Amino acid sequence: MKKHLSKTYKWLDDRLDLTSLSHFIEKKTVPIHRSSIWYYFGGVSLFFFIIQVCTGILLLFYYKGSADLAFESIQFIMSKVEFGWLIRSIHAWAANLFILSVFIHMFSVYFEKSYRRPRELTWISGVLLFFLTLFFGFSGYLLPWNKLAFFATKVGTDIAGNVPIIGEALKGFLRGGDDVTGATLSRFFGFHVALFPGIFTTILVIHLIMVQRQGMSEPIESDKETTVKNKTMPFFPNFMLRDMLLWLVVLNVLAILAVFFPAELGEKADAFASAPAGIKPEWYFLFMFQTLKYIPAKLFVFDGEILGILLFGLAGLLWLLVPFWDTKSSKGIRNRKMNYLGLAAVAFIIILTILGWVS
Amino acid sequence: MNNNLQNRRSFIGSILTIGLAGLGGSILYPIFRYLVPPKQREVEVSNVSGGKLKDMENDSYKIVRFGNKPVILIRTDKGELKALSAQCTHLDCTVQYKKSEGVIWCACHNGKYDLNGRNISGPPPRPLDPYNVKLKGDEIIISRKV
Amino acid sequence: MKRILSMITAVFIFCIISVNGAPAAEDKCYLCHSTMDDKESKLFKDDIHFQKGISCSGCHGGDNTAEDNDAAMNKQKGFIGVPKGNKISEVCAKCHGNEKIMRGYGSKLPVNQYDNLVNSVHGKLAVEGSVRIVQCITCHTAHGIKSVKNPLSPVYPLNIPQTCSKCHSDAGYMKTYNPSLAVDQYTMYKSSVHGKLNSSGDPKPAQCASCHGSHDIKPVKDIRSKVYPVNIPGTCSNCHSDKEYMAQYKIPTDQFAKYSRSVHGIALLEKNDPGAPACNNCHGNHGATPPGVESISKVCGTCHALNAELFSSSPHKKAFDEKNYPECETCHGNHEIVTATNKLLGVDKDAVCISCHTDPNSSGYKSAKLMRQLIDSLDNTKNAAMVLINIAEQKGMDVTEAKFKLRDINQIKLEARTQVHSFDPSKFKDVVSKGLLIGSDASADAKGAIHEYSFRRVGLGVSVFLICLLAFGLFLYIRRIEKK
Repeated sequence: MKKHLSKTYKWLDDRLDLTSLSHFIEKKTVPIHRSSIWYYFGGVSLFFFIIQVCTGILLLFYYKGSADLAFESIQFIMSKVEFGWLIRSIHAWAANLFILSVFIHMFSVYFEKSYRRPRELTWISGVLLFFLTLFFGFSGYLLPWNKLAFFATKVGTDIAGNVPIIGEALKGFLRGGDDVTGATLSRFFGFHVALFPGIFTTILVIHLIMVQRQGMSEPIESDKETTVKNKTMPFFPNFMLRDMLLWLVVLNVLAILAVFFPAELGEKADAFASAPAGIKPEWYFLFMFQTLKYIPAKLFVFDGEILGILLFGLAGLLWLLVPFWDTKSSKGIRNRKMNYLGLAAVAFIIILTILGWVS
Repeated sequence: MNNNLQNRRSFIGSILTIGLAGLGGSILYPIFRYLVPPKQREVEVSNVSGGKLKDMENDSYKIVRFGNKPVILIRTDKGELKALSAQCTHLDCTVQYKKSEGVIWCACHNGKYDLNGRNISGPPPRPLDPYNVKLKGDEIIISRKV
Repeated sequence: MKRILSMITAVFIFCIISVNGAPAAEDKCYLCHSTMDDKESKLFKDDIHFQKGISCSGCHGGDNTAEDNDAAMNKQKGFIGVPKGNKISEVCAKCHGNEKIMRGYGSKLPVNQYDNLVNSVHGKLAVEGSVRIVQCITCHTAHGIKSVKNPLSPVYPLNIPQTCSKCHSDAGYMKTYNPSLAVDQYTMYKSSVHGKLNSSGDPKPAQCASCHGSHDIKPVKDIRSKVYPVNIPGTCSNCHSDKEYMAQYKIPTDQFAKYSRSVHGIALLEKNDPGAPACNNCHGNHGATPPGVESISKVCGTCHALNAELFSSSPHKKAFDEKNYPECETCHGNHEIVTATNKLLGVDKDAVCISCHTDPNSSGYKSAKLMRQLIDSLDNTKNAAMVLINIAEQKGMDVTEAKFKLRDINQIKLEARTQVHSFDPSKFKDVVSKGLLIGSDASADAKGAIHEYSFRRVGLGVSVFLICLLAFGLFLYIRRIEKK
């Protein structure tokens, strides 16, 4: 067996120069420090993405993306296809956990100021990936074509329509018409299985290549410490095996969730039925939704909704450009203000999510 | 000490092997079963209507749906009714009746059958399955040939 | 001269009459008109009003003490001449609607006739436009009015059918009011038991007024009508449940009680289902049986057509005809028809089959037993499936499809119960087999769901175990390589 493996390796190495690659991997190290644990969340997010791609492709074999058939096709998957319930439930749970993991990864990178020079582009690609993750969530949610999703999409695209200047055009583009119809479903299906995966994968590859090229960022304090030699561990096999271990735990959690809390389907969407009582967006949009609720309908001359959108737009933009306005961190100076800002943001998100959930 | 180490090594190794193989199996098995399409409960169809006799001219044919399979119903120039499976035994294309030659013809690869279903020319390897036809008043009833 | 002579005659006659204690002691109207030989006064002699001392002026107004024409027929004294149209009934109502006046004459008659008439179907305006269809005198006549109890009165029970048919059997006349109304009621009535007894001089059986009312007749479709379907059983039972009234006719008087307990009675009387049969649907409205039905024992098939058809081609038909058994009634009863349950079929003590098919070796006995077993098995298969479905549902598994399938069994049960009437076990078995198949399918689905439940958890257990095993191994491996 070993002989065959080494023979295959040699054959490939001859053609692809695997040796230099393996040397690079062998040399890669991961710093060990107090905050090392956060290093794992990028990998966990990647793991979730892989799961989504695999379960998503499997679901594609049976899902039918038209308004008359979508709901029924998912019923079919849940009840008739062997293990269909498992694939769909994993896909649904992994989606939520994926978004959660991305949040954690993003904020841990923020608090560690890993976005500082020379990793600005990594940060930007990462934030773009984060936005894409949210778009994945929004587009995928509509695909079962049930009542909750229908109205959630209605509200969401309505809000998009409030963006100044381009709002109406954007709303029409998203909806594939004036209202949420089968045309919207087709579009969202296209977004979810083709457009977004394509863009995401491209940016992800860039993101990963940059991480590999630049190595792991270390906390600002350890930059200064020269007395104690930084502890490191080799990426391969130590860190990678640890990563695998965590991935196994995550897989376990996914399996348990899928069996004990299988994905629900609800009722088929009906454009002429009333919105279900207590309808609210998925948890990852709740904080924005709740904030919009608190903004008064009219503030001076501005429409409350537009104000809200501009607010979040501005926040998003600032967030994207953090490496460029946090100049202190780029210089390697500890910047407590960023931590406070970040904590405030996290608190805001958590509190508003809870408020949105209980109201 | 070496022995102990060896034992421990092989113990860990076996755990890893079993665990990996087991996990691989428990992931691949559901995926494999998932990919096998579920059996659609086939509604037992025992007979179907072929329409009214007066609606069928002599020397004409029509394709009738029998459950989820096509059946070719032919009214010969002498007025006789014949029913056969319309799925060509070569590669499953749906056959038709060629008036000019008085044969059943498959457009895909030029296979030909006589009016009893026997394959007489071209690639089809087997004859077409026959069906029973009878008249109930003016209505044509097609049923399976037992 | 002539005048004086007639007056002397009048006085003379008057004296004679007054000696006889006749009323209208000073009734100049009558005295005068009777000498004139007019028809009305001839009739009026036998009129109950005359006998009670009411003069012509009681209705026509004027001064009945005046001998002079102008003084007597004086508008100032209330003379109205011959009342026309609705005025006629108003004249009657002036007294007959007044309690004080009526009691003053010692009459126990009701005083609501005019009000009832005005609100009844006869109180509607006639086709000419302004006059009601019927005035009091239409039925009671004008001058020879007799008491209802008087056999000579047109509204004496024996005479009522003829009185009503004067209009109601006149097709031309009735067409102008309601072309859809039948005009054969009188003819049909004469062929019925009520009609025959009535014709032979018995005033007790029902005639038109008994069921339709007298002054307060409403159209049949009016819910207030005594012959509105929901009200009919009550109307019939007014006589038919009265033991004393019916004593001489020697027929039971428990029909209404029985009917009220029956399926038909509950449907009509409690659920107000107008599709359910009242007495007249089986017994006929006016005739002896409903139109087109040869005898009451064949009437069930007019609604229960399929059962009747199956029965007609079954072996029971010939047997029942030979023994002169009524077809449906023999097993199902006539008035107290209750919902047929499975218990009606079979060979145990509650079943009807065993009342004839007593020999356990007879084919009838065996067929009955088999059919009962088959229909019971339908219930069993449904219950068994429901039990499994509930277990699966409890576990949180989706069994909507199995439940949906089971609904068909109810349909099959209905079909089977109809098919019983062919009394052919093989046909019956065919129907029931479909149901048994459905039941076993649903059971299999439910069992599958239950199995799936455990399978998922076992599968999870296995996967979790394997993952933990691998994680453990990894952990050991990592520990090992880091120890170095």
